[in-house]
Amino acid sequence: MSVAILTDVTKCTGCRQCITACKQTNHLTYDRPRRWQERDGLSAANWTSILQRPDKHFVRKQCRHCLEPACVSACPVGALHKTAEGTVVYDSDMCLGCRYCMMACPFGIPRYDWDRAVPYVRKCVMCYDLLKEGRQPACTEVCPEQATIFGQRDQLLAEAHRRIRENPQRYVNHVWGEHEVGGTSVLYLSDIDLGFLLGTSDLGDLSLPETTRLAMKAVPPVFVGMGAVMYGVHWVIRRRMELSRRASEKDEDDE
Amino acid sequence: MMNRVQTSKTILWSLLGFAAAVGLTRFVFGLGATTNLSDGTPWGIWIGFDVLAGVALASGGFVMTAIFYITKREEFKPLVRPAVLTAFLGYLAVIFGLMFDLGLPWNIWHMMIYWNPHSPLFEVGWCVMLYTAVLMLEFSPMPLEATNRYAKVREFLMKLRLPLVIIGIMLSTLHQSSLGSLFLIMPHRLHPLWYSSLLPVQFFVSAVALGMMMVALESIVSHWLYRRSADTTLVAKLAKFAAWVLGLFLAIRSVDIAASGEIAMIFEGSREAWLFIAEILMSTVIPILMFSIKRIRTKPAGQLVGSLLVVLGMVFNRLNVGGVAGLRPDALGYVPSLMEIIVSIGVVSAAALVFMFAVERFSIWRERPQDDQADPYARPNFDRAAEVWLGAPAVAARNKYSLVFVLSFTLGIAVIPGDRLESKGVVDAVVRKARGGQILQIDGNHDLFGTPFNHAAHIDSLGRDSSCVKCHHMNKPMDEQSGCWECHHNMYTVSDAFGHDWHAGPDGANIACRQCHQGERRAETVKKCAACHTDQLPPGATISIDSYLAPSYVDAMHGACVACHRQVAAADQTKAGLPQCAACHPKLPSERQLPFADFELSPRTVNPVVLPEAPADSLAENGG
Repeated sequence: MSVAILTDVTKCTGCRQCITACKQTNHLTYDRPRRWQERDGLSAANWTSILQRPDKHFVRKQCRHCLEPACVSACPVGALHKTAEGTVVYDSDMCLGCRYCMMACPFGIPRYDWDRAVPYVRKCVMCYDLLKEGRQPACTEVCPEQATIFGQRDQLLAEAHRRIRENPQRYVNHVWGEHEVGGTSVLYLSDIDLGFLLGTSDLGDLSLPETTRLAMKAVPPVFVGMGAVMYGVHWVIRRRMELSRRASEKDEDDE
Repeated sequence: MMNRVQTSKTILWSLLGFAAAVGLTRFVFGLGATTNLSDGTPWGIWIGFDVLAGVALASGGFVMTAIFYITKREEFKPLVRPAVLTAFLGYLAVIFGLMFDLGLPWNIWHMMIYWNPHSPLFEVGWCVMLYTAVLMLEFSPMPLEATNRYAKVREFLMKLRLPLVIIGIMLSTLHQSSLGSLFLIMPHRLHPLWYSSLLPVQFFVSAVALGMMMVALESIVSHWLYRRSADTTLVAKLAKFAAWVLGLFLAIRSVDIAASGEIAMIFEGSREAWLFIAEILMSTVIPILMFSIKRIRTKPAGQLVGSLLVVLGMVFNRLNVGGVAGLRPDALGYVPSLMEIIVSIGVVSAAALVFMFAVERFSIWRERPQDDQADPYARPNFDRAAEVWLGAPAVAARNKYSLVFVLSFTLGIAVIPGDRLESKGVVDAVVRKARGGQILQIDGNHDLFGTPFNHAAHIDSLGRDSSCVKCHHMNKPMDEQSGCWECHHNMYTVSDAFGHDWHAGPDGANIACRQCHQGERRAETVKKCAACHTDQLPPGATISIDSYLAPSYVDAMHGACVACHRQVAAADQTKAGLPQCAACHPKLPSERQLPFADFELSPRTVNPVVLPEAPADSLAENGG
């Protein structure tokens, strides 16, 4: 079972009820524009935002809850993990504040409490405690246009393709999040290109944890191999020196 | 009279004093107040320099022990102990410097109990931890020699030498390369000229060359500092080795860049291209050329310039990988703050001071450096209060160092920009659209804190029909009205923006005089605005309104329209379509209703601002 959110950009009116609902549900403090914030509305106290694109297009930005999350793979202590339900959640008690997750995320989602002496990583957790109660996330619950809806990932994918099929001229024939960076649990339907949500467009369908997997697999053989080579070199050189010493001693004896 | 050593130590203690002041500030006020890190560039020079470059600079330890113990090049013996000491101090400095960068440094030990073997950082953390322990065991015979006790421990450690050296090389191979693996997961951040699947190999090979050159540089500098005999022949040999390793590094990078078809990028003239050219020239091309000429390689000046170029060039490489050569056009440009630079300098200064402490006490070099100040005929210190002779001071000129440290610390505390710490990173923001309606609850940033804006009152006070243009400067791009702050430069100070007659008059707020004026009816006796307007910022606060992102056009419009639409629809059955979205948004399906049955313009139940009883003089905390 894997839950997901489908956001239909053509339906969103930009009313921002999702943002307010998110704030109330997650007890987020009020926010002021800070020096360290990116201009996308997300911050430690804003886990979702509405990006306004030309011609009254509203794109809701939030954590994509990747199927193979780069942040989860990067975290050295496993403070971030992908739950069985499919959300990516964060355990502040484990975190040591290295911010590797923020570096690794291709969507630039995780935010930091830069103004606090005891800072944590903050990001959307798809209202995990509401999911546990059998409810849906606050943002999808409150959306008046049902522009962003909650459900099982396979069902939402089927729904997205159904909408494209029934209204081919209304949508770009692409479900964002179906394959990007190995697939995400937050899907987008749109009539404009949403490539800007990714850091670079040429990442394609590359699952980012795959990039380090090969290097990490090489670790044990390199470790043992280096030890063996070093001991081997040491043994050979010592043996040679021993032999040459014996040879010179023998020469002296012969004389 | 000050000699070179004492002058250097005085400078280092002074830098350490500044760094201590800044370091303290970082822990009290957090990373945002002291660094220029941001959500777009969460890693800065504390990672790029202190960790990436620091670990690479300390690689001399494993390279020299490999040359000496594994390949049995006995002639390098004089350089082994300094290399092990440098490496040990280097790793301690990396860990110490990391404490400033980590958000929750007291949790660093979590790596031991919470495992994520998929993470290169997890592997780096473990290797650094283990290798620092190995280095401690490799180093500890030196201080143990200085005491006559623990001879058995020392003998045991000397027997462990070979296994320790081999384990040290194994661990170094892993984490030197894994520092490169850290960046494999971010092709979206690193410029293609640096991003490569061979980053781990590149990091390892360059660390080997850098380690040798750091040992050489350290030998040259200490030769100058302590007026020792120079290891010119050994350094020349190292330079020759290093040239080969640098050549290998250059070959790997060239082939890698050629294979991925990025050669054209080098000459495209962009900022990154110039960074790349400078880095390659500095770190590899020029040193290789210099070291391949015997006359330059064997001269102290050539050795100094060459090794310095490699060290600076490779540090530059690590900084580039660590974020300077970024690939995020949308990210905020990162330039390290002065405070970040001071802390990095302080960490290096501390390491240098411990290095000098060690070489003066333990036999790191063949000869023990002589302290110029240690006059055998000097009179011991006399303590006047206790009337006892204390003997010769253990550290020459320690009073001077203490004084310099305390003065620098004080000066550091004094010059740290207080407004930067105080501002908590809040920046000015343009107030955006709000118009129409009687009273708009302006809450553009959806923080649930709104400001009631009385539109009608503004029309009245600014001149009726001719008043619109005073706020609605339609010629401003992307801004259909002026921000409040354009008139209300200072909120909560007495200004002519306060509509007295409106407040007192029956058409306005209709407030009795005594509700505002205590006693006489003068301007001086009036209450602060915020005493009544409690949903605003605390009284006494002098805050320019542009630091408070106010309105949202969408909310303002919805708030202004919806209530009336509902009323009319309820009263008049023929206008049942009014509360539907399609009444105003014709593209939307007509069956959709506005969700806000009891549309509260701004619910104020969460996180109220706590107002102090007495008017505060300074800007209070921003609540939350």
